[in-house]
Amino acid sequence: MTKRIDRRVMLRALIVLVIAVAAFIALGASGSPAIASTTDTVVAHSAALSNEAPSALTQDTTTVHATADTESSGVGDNRYVQQFINGIVFGLLLALASVGLSLIYGTTGLSNFAHGEQVSLGALLTFFFASKQEVSLPFLPVEFSIGWPLLPSALAAIAISAGTGWLQDRYLWSPLRRRRVSIVQQMIVSIGLSLAMLNFIQWWFGAERKRLTTSIDTRLDLGLFSIGQTTIWSVLIALVCLGGVGYFLLKTRTGRATRAVSDNPALASASGIRVEKVVRLVWIMATGLAAVGGILLALYDNAAAFDVGARLLLLMFAAVTLGGLGQAFGALVGSLVIGVAVEMSTLWIGTDLKYAVALAILILVLLVRPQGILGRAERVG
Amino acid sequence: MDILLDATTAVFAPATAAFALAAIGLNFHFGLTGLLNMGHAGFMLLGMYGYAISTSRGAPIWLALIVAIAAATVFGLLLGWPTLKLRGDYLAIATISAAELVRYLGRSNSLQGLTGGSTGIRGSDFKFTFEELSPLPNENITILFWTNHGSLSSSWWLHIVAWSAVALFALLFWQLARSPWGRVLKGIREDEDAVRALGKNVYSYKMQALVLGGVIGAIGGVLWSLGASVQPDSMGRPTTFWLWTILLLGGAATVFGPVLGSMLFWMSLVVIKGLASTFIPSSVLSPVEIEPFSLVLVGITLMVLVVFRPQGVLGNKRELAFND
Repeated sequence: MTKRIDRRVMLRALIVLVIAVAAFIALGASGSPAIASTTDTVVAHSAALSNEAPSALTQDTTTVHATADTESSGVGDNRYVQQFINGIVFGLLLALASVGLSLIYGTTGLSNFAHGEQVSLGALLTFFFASKQEVSLPFLPVEFSIGWPLLPSALAAIAISAGTGWLQDRYLWSPLRRRRVSIVQQMIVSIGLSLAMLNFIQWWFGAERKRLTTSIDTRLDLGLFSIGQTTIWSVLIALVCLGGVGYFLLKTRTGRATRAVSDNPALASASGIRVEKVVRLVWIMATGLAAVGGILLALYDNAAAFDVGARLLLLMFAAVTLGGLGQAFGALVGSLVIGVAVEMSTLWIGTDLKYAVALAILILVLLVRPQGILGRAERVG
Repeated sequence: MDILLDATTAVFAPATAAFALAAIGLNFHFGLTGLLNMGHAGFMLLGMYGYAISTSRGAPIWLALIVAIAAATVFGLLLGWPTLKLRGDYLAIATISAAELVRYLGRSNSLQGLTGGSTGIRGSDFKFTFEELSPLPNENITILFWTNHGSLSSSWWLHIVAWSAVALFALLFWQLARSPWGRVLKGIREDEDAVRALGKNVYSYKMQALVLGGVIGAIGGVLWSLGASVQPDSMGRPTTFWLWTILLLGGAATVFGPVLGSMLFWMSLVVIKGLASTFIPSSVLSPVEIEPFSLVLVGITLMVLVVFRPQGVLGNKRELAFND
């Protein structure tokens, strides 16, 4: 029975993906005459962007990055393929963060607004360990540099981030659940936490964008599109992590328990599953995955600022809602759709509006199908 | 002593009044109706844009205000249409996204001609119609310790107008909250299904509350921009979160809660910054770090408030039920 439903759900997801891709290609075909003019506007945008360099704080370098891609990859269909590939990459990296968000929502019902900060934390902790520059801790007047290689720094950052997940659940969320604080209150608590963490990270690392590595990525030209070597590694790591989560959820006992808790916490608890333990594990996993996502995104974008996660948070929510709140695999599909939509949209509209596309999709989904692609049809209001 | 003086200045600043006004709007949403509007800054930003753009295109002040109100109304209707039937957390996500959408559009280069892109609209382009109305002399006036210009920018004139507006809308809230209309809204907050069973059109009532609160937010935005300038990035998510802190601090569903909350909020920010820069050596907390440090405290305040005293300073615990 469950298998049949799973297959049906997967099929539905596949159909949506295919339709989305077809729609993009159709749009691309009809939009080709406009390419010349869009390139002009893109160039104009990049010029405008570089003029505004002093406002680096809110500057969107993914934008610049994408602009560079579109300009370098020449004319014709290449740009569609290139942006599509960029979208898939971005979607996969986004999925790392949004799967965790979705798992937390599924098991506890909490829309965690502080999840974006976990992404920034992962990236900037890696900078903290890896950087040759002087770093310091808040409130401590000493400056020092650690300068580990990238890999151990990243692992340390992931471990610390997962530790913050444990800490949060142990000392914040678990007591709140025990006090039976309502979900809406918990959500506002998470907003407060997000505000506190965002400013804490800014206080710690400053407002400038930080580079995790100084090495320059070599780009491989694969005919239709080009891709950075680091990006390939990032994609592989992301795939392994997501595969691991999938294996965990589908094949292991604890993973099944997690899905049972997502389905119905009371029933799961009654059948002997230790719900609190599962939730604790989910928090650790979610924050750890967010850190991995943050690090890989920082490598993909060349740098990370304190507000990188805050800007991605709504994209994650869009992905999670699109896939169906609380559905881990839905979050993956949703992230891919959002990633592709965001990157492909730069072909037609200004690059500074690409995140707006994701938000428009989110609102449309809420209008048409609030339970998302993979969500069960149930009343949500 | 300086800190005390600065704190008093902050309490009566036009920005405080503007935030109090926006929080009164949010009080219609959350305090009365229980709507989780996480995109209130979007309403404020739209109000500012409506006012500033129409003024710089030569509209008289009354028309500019109407444009601001109309923009907020349309935004409220568009936003409420898909989302008011959804559960609370969906509404929160939808509103926060819509507000960010407005900000992204406002700061995008494609609308540079209209909204001025990410630099926004300069004060000198839209403040003149308001400043010309000032009956006060066109010079600096000192009252006790405080010196402000009579009619320009953050003027005594703006102080008077902003706080009168706050008083007016607090009165409106008080009257509406105890009217039959307000009682239906409170009913929706407590138990939507019960109100529906009484034959009320819950959707329509929620929409009215959303639009009314949004319009008040937009007027708050206009007042804020008259003291500063139109800046899309100043109306991002943090602004909405501050408004929530203000509302929950003062006490949701109370008449003076938003006003007191706004005063306390801005005053404590000034006091924290003042104390931190006086007592913590700059090697430990450098001047650039004071701002984020004080905002960390704001975030923690919000968390602690929601958990331990959700009714705020003035509120009544029974009056405020967070239901999902």
